[in-house]
Amino acid sequence: MPLLTFDSVDLGYGTQVVLPGLTLSLEAGERVALLGQSGAGKSTLLAEIRRRLGNAAAWCPQGHGLVPLLSVYHNVYMGQLERHAALTNLVNLLKPRREAWQAIDAVTRELGLEGLLRRPVAQLSGGQRQRVAIARAFFQGREIFLGDEPLASVDPHQALRLLDRIQARHTSSIIALHQHRLALEYFDRIIGLRDGHVVLDAPARELTLAQLDALYPDAGKNAGTSPPGHSDREARLETSP
Amino acid sequence: MSAAPGLLRGDSPGLTLARRSLALIGLCLLLLPFADLRIIAVDPWGELSRMAQGFAWPDFLALENPLRAIALTVSVALWGTCIGAMLGFPLALLFHRSRLIRSFCAFVRAIHELFWALLFIQVFGLSSITALAALAIPYAGIFAKVYAEILELAPKSPTDALPAGTDRLSRFLYAELPLVWERLASYTRYRFECAMRASVLLGFVGLPTLGFYLESAFREGRFSEAGALLWIFYALVATLQWWGDRRLLLPLLIGALFFLGPWPDVDGNLLWRFVSHDLWPAPLLDGDLVGLGSWLASLPDLLPAVGNTLLLALMGTVGSLILALLLWPLASHHFGRPWQRIGGRLMLVVLRSTPELMLAFIFLLMLGPSMLPAWLALALHNGALIAFLVARHADGIKVGMADLPASGRYAYELLPRLYPNLLALICYRAEVIMRETALLGMLGVATLGFYIDSSFQYLMFDQAFFLLLVTAGLNIAIDAISRRFRPREAPLDDPCSR
Repeated sequence: MPLLTFDSVDLGYGTQVVLPGLTLSLEAGERVALLGQSGAGKSTLLAEIRRRLGNAAAWCPQGHGLVPLLSVYHNVYMGQLERHAALTNLVNLLKPRREAWQAIDAVTRELGLEGLLRRPVAQLSGGQRQRVAIARAFFQGREIFLGDEPLASVDPHQALRLLDRIQARHTSSIIALHQHRLALEYFDRIIGLRDGHVVLDAPARELTLAQLDALYPDAGKNAGTSPPGHSDREARLETSP
Repeated sequence: MSAAPGLLRGDSPGLTLARRSLALIGLCLLLLPFADLRIIAVDPWGELSRMAQGFAWPDFLALENPLRAIALTVSVALWGTCIGAMLGFPLALLFHRSRLIRSFCAFVRAIHELFWALLFIQVFGLSSITALAALAIPYAGIFAKVYAEILELAPKSPTDALPAGTDRLSRFLYAELPLVWERLASYTRYRFECAMRASVLLGFVGLPTLGFYLESAFREGRFSEAGALLWIFYALVATLQWWGDRRLLLPLLIGALFFLGPWPDVDGNLLWRFVSHDLWPAPLLDGDLVGLGSWLASLPDLLPAVGNTLLLALMGTVGSLILALLLWPLASHHFGRPWQRIGGRLMLVVLRSTPELMLAFIFLLMLGPSMLPAWLALALHNGALIAFLVARHADGIKVGMADLPASGRYAYELLPRLYPNLLALICYRAEVIMRETALLGMLGVATLGFYIDSSFQYLMFDQAFFLLLVTAGLNIAIDAISRRFRPREAPLDDPCSR
């Protein structure tokens, strides 16, 4: 059953087209990895998928989108803001609701954040914040998981565990990431973007690491000449033999 | 081989700013001969030494009931700020949507606290309502503008991460307000410091705050008493970080209620008569156009007053610019030894904490009534204030070549990075200087404020109100000009700078 289809549509922001003439179809129940260099158009594609799916999909944005001053509990609670009246949400800021507290306690435990519910997000490490962002997506309780680099700021070992939890909780997932090995081993389908075009779209089992590395032509060229960006470095670490 | 460019030639941002600043300074020098800068007093140095003696040997025992004046000063500042914030916050939420609200806010903040006080005194007398309204009304306009700017700068990513269908209030409370809460609080705090100064100033129109006793002590030459009052005021400002702690806010607010007063009996009819009748020219109310012409003709000659106001504002702005450039290294850790820095910082803090009217008043007693004391006061107060902020900004910068000589560090490492921000601060300050210029008229400098003050004294409320409107219009115009002049490339990172 197709979840979404794009039939040669132009995607972008305002008048600027990032993904011209996109044709793509996504199936329900699929685990899709979205690969490509920064600026290839992954975020644009995800934003459009999110817009079309609306609240059918849980959303874990790039850079977390957390509120530093609020506690872990309140940040996770934000995943269900639309389900309660404004007054309930207001009171919850002052006194946490008991059911919500228990549900969020369970979700955060699952992600290794136990005992941190009261802590302001500003005081957490990068990896912990990443997990709070994922917890918020879990708390939305949807069938589909949409993530824009939700594994960017955790170590490879943890990335594997988090990915496992994400896929256990959702029947479909569409995730942008840079870890090629994870993409090959834990996803059904891999879509590769380059300069706004889909240059790779195949079942993961038919692909090799070398084919994925070809999506990052700059990675080899940049090495040693200029300080690589965070995601480039990560990509290289993952793909180096 | 290309020839080296000539003096100030080129289009780098630094040179553009330098040309602009030099043009401003040039304009000021050109107009300086038109300013009345005479020294009228017979013995300025003798007067200064007597004041200094009073300051050095303050006589605290001569003060009658200083605690009451202190309590009233703090109470008025506290509640004035609080009411201003409560009125300003809802306005801030609508600020960018409604032109009407923006113009209303621009108008109420264009009139200085003291002029509002002069207006309200006519109806509410020397009461706490006058004092609170005089602070709260202009502050509501200021808070609305600054809060709106801060809210606009809130990062958008948490809002984007919310599920679709989240209601407006929840979105605001969870994903917008917490992100800017610290900045809103720190600006409100800064405004409270301004309110302390304004509250002191209210004494100049007769409300029994510290300023009332200060003014009479200075005027009657009781300098040791004036010195004691000044010391009390500096101590209050210096210890603000302890007694102004967030946890003490509620007890302070409640306690302050006991010191506010007296509360007037407001006569509704009288109030209505004042607003609907007394403030407007009688011919206008009667629909008599010919009479309105002769009413306008009966006004004092406004052109010299407007000219003086603008000239003094220009001189004050340029003076602040030059002083800020000279003074900021005194408080920065890039220059001097630690003990010199402590001295420099102390001097800047004292200069910026003293209300400018107070400074002007002291210089006036020394030098006699001309534009000179007003100019000195404006330049010193605002120059020190900006120098202090620039020094703080400089301390956040790590220089690339630390072993350059001091002049090299100043001119090559630091000033190029600080100058856009410094100039932006000056431009923001120009509006404030303009407001204060009009105010200095109350001390006898022939600016618009002088005529406003005397119109109120002669109970010609229609004329006073008209002049207030003219002043507000001028301020709004200056604000618009300085906004265009302000360097675009330097967004102010510190909202406390306004």
